[in-house]
Amino acid sequence: MIAASCSKSNAFIANAKRTTILVALLAFALAPLVMAQVTYSAHAKAIGMHLKCMCRGCDMTVTLCSHPGGAFSGPCTVPEIGAQASLRQIDELLNKGMSDQQVIDAFVAKYGAVVYVEPPKKGFGLVAWIMPFFYFFAGLALVVFVVRKMRSRQIAAAPAAPGVPRDILERARAQAARETED
Amino acid sequence: MDVFGSFSLLLAFVCAVYAFVGGIVAIKTRHPLLIKSSRHAGMATCVLIFIGAFCVEYLFFTDNFSMAYVVSHSNRDLSTFYKVAALWAGQEGSLLFWSTLLSIYVLSVLIAYRNKNGELMPYVGVVLAGVQIFFLTLNNFVENPFKTLATVNASGVLEPFTRMDGNGLNPLLQYPEMVIHPPNLYSGYTGFTIPFAFALAALLARYPGEKWIHLTRKWTMIAWCFQSLGILLGAHWAYAVLGWGGYWGWDPVENASLLPWLSGTAFLHSVMMQEKRGMMKVWNVWLVFSTFLLCILGTFLTRSGVVSSVHAFANSQIGPWFVGFMLLTIAVCLFAYIKNHDYLKSENQLDSFISRESSFLFNNLLFLVACIAVLSGTLFPVFSEWFTNNRISVGAPFFNKVMIPIALALLFLTGVGPLLAWRQTSVESLKRNFGWPLIVGIVTGTAAFFLGYRDATAMLCLSLCGFVLWTIVMEFYRGAKVIAARTGMSMMMAAHELSMRNTRRYGGYVVHFGMVLIFVGLAGSAFNSDVQKAMNIGDSMKLGPYTLILQSGDTKAEKNYTAQRMIVEVLRDKKQIMMLYPEKRQFQGNEQAAGTMVAIYSTLREDLYVVYAGMDPEANVPVIHAFLNPLVKWIWLGGVWVVMGTLLALMPNRRATLVLAGAAQPAVSPAAQALNPSATLREGND
Repeated sequence: MIAASCSKSNAFIANAKRTTILVALLAFALAPLVMAQVTYSAHAKAIGMHLKCMCRGCDMTVTLCSHPGGAFSGPCTVPEIGAQASLRQIDELLNKGMSDQQVIDAFVAKYGAVVYVEPPKKGFGLVAWIMPFFYFFAGLALVVFVVRKMRSRQIAAAPAAPGVPRDILERARAQAARETED
Repeated sequence: MDVFGSFSLLLAFVCAVYAFVGGIVAIKTRHPLLIKSSRHAGMATCVLIFIGAFCVEYLFFTDNFSMAYVVSHSNRDLSTFYKVAALWAGQEGSLLFWSTLLSIYVLSVLIAYRNKNGELMPYVGVVLAGVQIFFLTLNNFVENPFKTLATVNASGVLEPFTRMDGNGLNPLLQYPEMVIHPPNLYSGYTGFTIPFAFALAALLARYPGEKWIHLTRKWTMIAWCFQSLGILLGAHWAYAVLGWGGYWGWDPVENASLLPWLSGTAFLHSVMMQEKRGMMKVWNVWLVFSTFLLCILGTFLTRSGVVSSVHAFANSQIGPWFVGFMLLTIAVCLFAYIKNHDYLKSENQLDSFISRESSFLFNNLLFLVACIAVLSGTLFPVFSEWFTNNRISVGAPFFNKVMIPIALALLFLTGVGPLLAWRQTSVESLKRNFGWPLIVGIVTGTAAFFLGYRDATAMLCLSLCGFVLWTIVMEFYRGAKVIAARTGMSMMMAAHELSMRNTRRYGGYVVHFGMVLIFVGLAGSAFNSDVQKAMNIGDSMKLGPYTLILQSGDTKAEKNYTAQRMIVEVLRDKKQIMMLYPEKRQFQGNEQAAGTMVAIYSTLREDLYVVYAGMDPEANVPVIHAFLNPLVKWIWLGGVWVVMGTLLALMPNRRATLVLAGAAQPAVSPAAQALNPSATLREGND
């Protein structure tokens, strides 16, 4: 029974290979009959950089979607929500006279905040933008505080550390340097 | 073999528990035999983990399709090369691979220091065994790679079941770099366990001085080198396989690999403050703790599926285990710190804001801000969902806006830091050291403008690259000049001699040079352009100075996939320069069944990057997507220099006296004395 299913499986794989090759050859044969160009305006692509492809398969931007693992390497062709459909919709909205922000707002109204590639500079999204500045200034304040504290202390006059006298520390350091010399 | 492997892992778990508990008892009782026995248990744990990993590989090579893991990640047609990589293709194997690489480090440490540092090593052994217990718990009880397939028979009883063939390996992983990228990255992640174990052990044992830093310096550099290489290989894989024309997308998994690299780099710099001046002890200990925790966090983000990612390796229930382990680690570190923090008091003060010490402080500040900014950006979608029930995405534009200024500031410090003296730098010295580099920086920026690189950020970046490059050149030139004058060597030989006398310092400069090259490459991304077109045979399209003509296409059936290949002729100034062959591969028996093989014509000036996107579904003709990406090659070249610099820094110093012995003048000048590592500073001359 195992042998039977094995040969069935091999036959299936061979058929699949043949079918793939035939479809590819047919596609090449038919190719000259059709002439098409995949074009989207540069403006649409610029806006597409700010929107996420909602196909749920790639997590990339509408413009840069290459849909890894998909049959078509981007912009992906998923109907209605894929990158190609989105770029077309952007062009349509631009042709209606909408501004860049209005186009983005239209996508947010349709999909929610998840469509943003970068957090909006309002509401909770603003927190994401403020945080890096907060980290920097908090870190800077800490550095200045530490440096001032260091400079105000005359450590040389004080014992090195309770329980570890300075001369022992120096001896240990010299020993460590000897033992672990490169 | 599956039973044998499973038993090995179980026995490894038992040995690790013994090494941990026995180690603690040995520390308390100071019983020499128990110390030895715990160490041997630690070694046995490692060997048993190796056996477990070998068994999984054996099951792949023998196409044992009764094993669930083999069925999920291999098939009969998969080449031997990729069967090796199948070990880390899925959740269970990846975690076992983590344990395996960690075991290589642990075994090396236990053997290398078996007769040394008797006070410290039992503590180190206990910490390492603790980490191994966590991963072995996952390997044995949560994500066991030795699960067998079973089916319910007619009478309702489970019975073993063997599939005829497997599902195959994810096509995205069937690329040579995918065989070496994960081992490198994981070697980085696991390698930081060693400095962590020594730091925690030294704190627990109140081990005097900075010996733990001396002992772990090379381990830290090795881990850092692997991490750097892993990140770069991952970037190259993303560039050459995903077919989107970029190399870094700020994907959560990419970010996860960057986090410990950033904190590890900060540690590599700040550790010099402790070695030379006995400062920053608390900072360094917490920095190494954080780096280890970020490695665990990185593994957690990669493996748990808590944030969605193009890597999409896993979506599993291991999250709570990792969170629990991280909380436990933080608790242990806090306990050790609170108990023994008096031992970490600083011995020196900061003498001036314009000094090497303060440049390290700002370097650390920027690395840490970068690290926390990337971390909070990566986790922001999760936080936003918690707080507002609305998931807000954070993608590449956010990270670019935040990280570019930080990266440029760090590049500036790369040039400034080495030119500042320890303790204090005079204004005259500043003028002398920074005059020429500033001029070179300005000239580089101006040249970039006239060469057509007209973007403010890119020009600033290239100017800083020129500035840093010249500071490095000056460092080599000054030192080599002194040696050449004393020994009569040529300048090239003297530069070589200089590097060999203080490998760590000059290896560091070589790494900085590699970073300069990487920044040149990154600056090029401001000028990327692309064009996509559905093309019939004989059609052409233009991109920059190139004309691409679709000559023909063919289909070839390989063992594991069928490839559709486009043959694209590339012309420049109406002259043929080469043929490119972008491919689309259709793999057998896998859900994610298609893969891209990008064709790249790469020069130092630019990459012509051609993707065969597939057949246009509406027009049914091949779609060619071509990108022109300036300066990308510099990134990969920079990576090579970073690795070479690290290897140089890992080499032992050559004694200056051996060279000076043959010199005509036996008296040592102040300049030559400055080049003698043992004559000036505590150790090294960084």
